[in-house]
Formats: sequence, structure tokens, C-alpha cells
Amino acid sequence: MGGFWCRGWRSVALCGRCWRPPAWPGRSVESAERGLRRLGTWKRPSGARGPAAQPPRRPASSNPFQRAQEDEWRRRNKTVLTYVAAAAVGMLGASYAAVPLYRLYCQTTGLGGSAVAGHSSDQIENMVPVKDRIIKVTFNADVHASLQWNFRPQQTEIYVVPGETALAFYKAKNPTDKPIIGISTYNVVPFEAGQYFNKIQCFCFEEQRLNPQEEVDMPVFFYIDPEFAEDPRMVNVDLITLSYTFFEAKEGHKLPVPGYN
Amino acid sequence: MSTAMNFGTKSFQPRPPDKGSFPLDHFGECKSFKEKFMKCLRDKNFENALCRNESKEYLMCRMQRRLMAPEPLEKLGFRDLMDEKPEAKDK
Repeated sequence: MGGFWCRGWRSVALCGRCWRPPAWPGRSVESAERGLRRLGTWKRPSGARGPAAQPPRRPASSNPFQRAQEDEWRRRNKTVLTYVAAAAVGMLGASYAAVPLYRLYCQTTGLGGSAVAGHSSDQIENMVPVKDRIIKVTFNADVHASLQWNFRPQQTEIYVVPGETALAFYKAKNPTDKPIIGISTYNVVPFEAGQYFNKIQCFCFEEQRLNPQEEVDMPVFFYIDPEFAEDPRMVNVDLITLSYTFFEAKEGHKLPVPGYN
Repeated sequence: MSTAMNFGTKSFQPRPPDKGSFPLDHFGECKSFKEKFMKCLRDKNFENALCRNESKEYLMCRMQRRLMAPEPLEKLGFRDLMDEKPEAKDK
């Protein structure tokens, strides 16, 4: 047996990569393979179990106890798999249900989708104006191309301080001969300052009807949150621009109103 | 609603006003108060702090003519003016 092995090894050593030396056909290959197998580089034939052997996939065990154990494992696996699958489906359902649930939560708590609680009238009552921070608010008025109103602000600018309520006016005129219904939205620049800009009452997001040749004053009652003065990002902000845009409200058209109304 | 339709940038979220929308003053009932306020603004170089009395008068006119939900003026930020008023009345 030893000699047999030695011969195989020698053939490997002599010819290196070449498995078919001219002097030794077939037979040396076989012996070389057997030699390598003995060295342990190739897979052991089935039947011989190593220390860290896994249970076989096929129920090849004839031992009844082992078979019962395998059945037990299989049953447990199935249970776990069912639980995991149920959890996955539950998660998927929860992610779909989250949208209306969140909407419901916002309606009940009145937060309206904003992360910060809305500014209540108590805050307005108790807020103290920050007199050393004067901010210039300029007004801009725009009209959609299809709306034939003359819409413009009645003052170009106003100087306010945070924590002080202010009133501003826009004027709109309907020069045509038929009543037109408009609806407006607003924008505040710079973007970060817009979060501190609170409107107590204005004329936006609701349909406003102007009769032929009618001219009305549209007030905006607003204030800038006193916390504006404490925000480090707002240190260089001295100018805020409030811009209103009017669109024509068509019959049956429903514009998306912000907040969960 | 900013028109920069970038995916990552935060867009401006317009908020509805706290007390809703002003009904339109179709008959110009409070126009005189508005004119007084605008004149005050123009005289005082558009400083809001100096014209708060006129704005208070305008809002009171609206409330009287049912063009605005009546509300105590302190809740509208005019508490400092209300504190002065009783003093002025005494004089």
C-alpha cells in the first residue's frame, strides 16, 4: 500500500501539471487521484462523517429516533417560517395603513401635518415684540395668465418687528363684464424665514368672487414669530418677501388646500 | 409653492391662515378705515409699529360689520394698545 502511494506521488512530482506522462498512461492518473484523495484535498466519499457534519437533506436515516427528530425539526422550521411570513405580510399591511392612520391622528390632534404644534391665539396674546430687530416685508402680487383681474399690493413695503401683528392690503379689480372667481396662494422668500411667517387671517386658499367692475381691498393680518430673533440662521435676514398669486377657480375644480381639512 | 422641482430640496409648504380667510368687503364698508391706515403708513414711512391704532380700528370695523369673527383684541396682539386705552379714557 505504501509503495502504491509512493508511486502515485512520484508521478505527480515528476510531471507537475501534466497528468498524463507519456511513460505512464491512465494507471498513474488513477493512482495520483487516489493519492490526492488520501491527502484530503478532495471531497470525502459520502458515508464518512466529519466532526461538523450537517444533517442530510434527504431522509436517508433509517434510525427511527433520528427520523422522528428530523420530523420534529421540519415541523418547527415550518412553524417559524409561517411566523416570519406572517410578520412580513403584517409589516407590508402596516405600511399601507399608516397613511390614513396618520391623517386621522393629524385631524384629532389638530397638528395638520406640521411637526410643530400650530400657533394658538394664546401665543399671540402673550408674545412680546422684539423691538431691536426690524424686518422689511415687501409685497408682490401675481396673477395667472388666464385670470383677468388687476391685482396689486397697496404698499410696497412695511417695517415690522418679530412678535408684532401687522396689517397689509392688496387690491383686486375685475375689469371684465362677468363675475370671476379667483383663488390664491402665497409664497414667502427666503425659504427658512417662511416658517416664522404666520398669517392670522388673509384671503388665500378660499374662492373669492368679484362681480363685474368691482374693486375690493384684501387685507392680510400677519406676524413674524418672536423666535425668529433667536434663530442663528436668521441673523442676516432683514428682508422678507410675501408673494401672492391668484388663479382662476373653475367650476368643479378643487384646488388642493394645505393641511388636512 | 416654489417652482424649483428638485428632488432633494425642501419646497415651501404654504400654511392655511390661523383664523381662515377674510370675507370680501364687497360694499366697501370699512374703506374709510383702510384709507386712514394707508395714509398713516405713508406718513410714517411704512413703519407698522406707529400705525397700530389704525389697524386696530380697521379690524374693529370689520368685526362690527360682521366681516370678521369677533374676537377680543388681546388675542390679535393688541394687548399693549388695550392697556393704554383705559388710561386714555381716564384722562
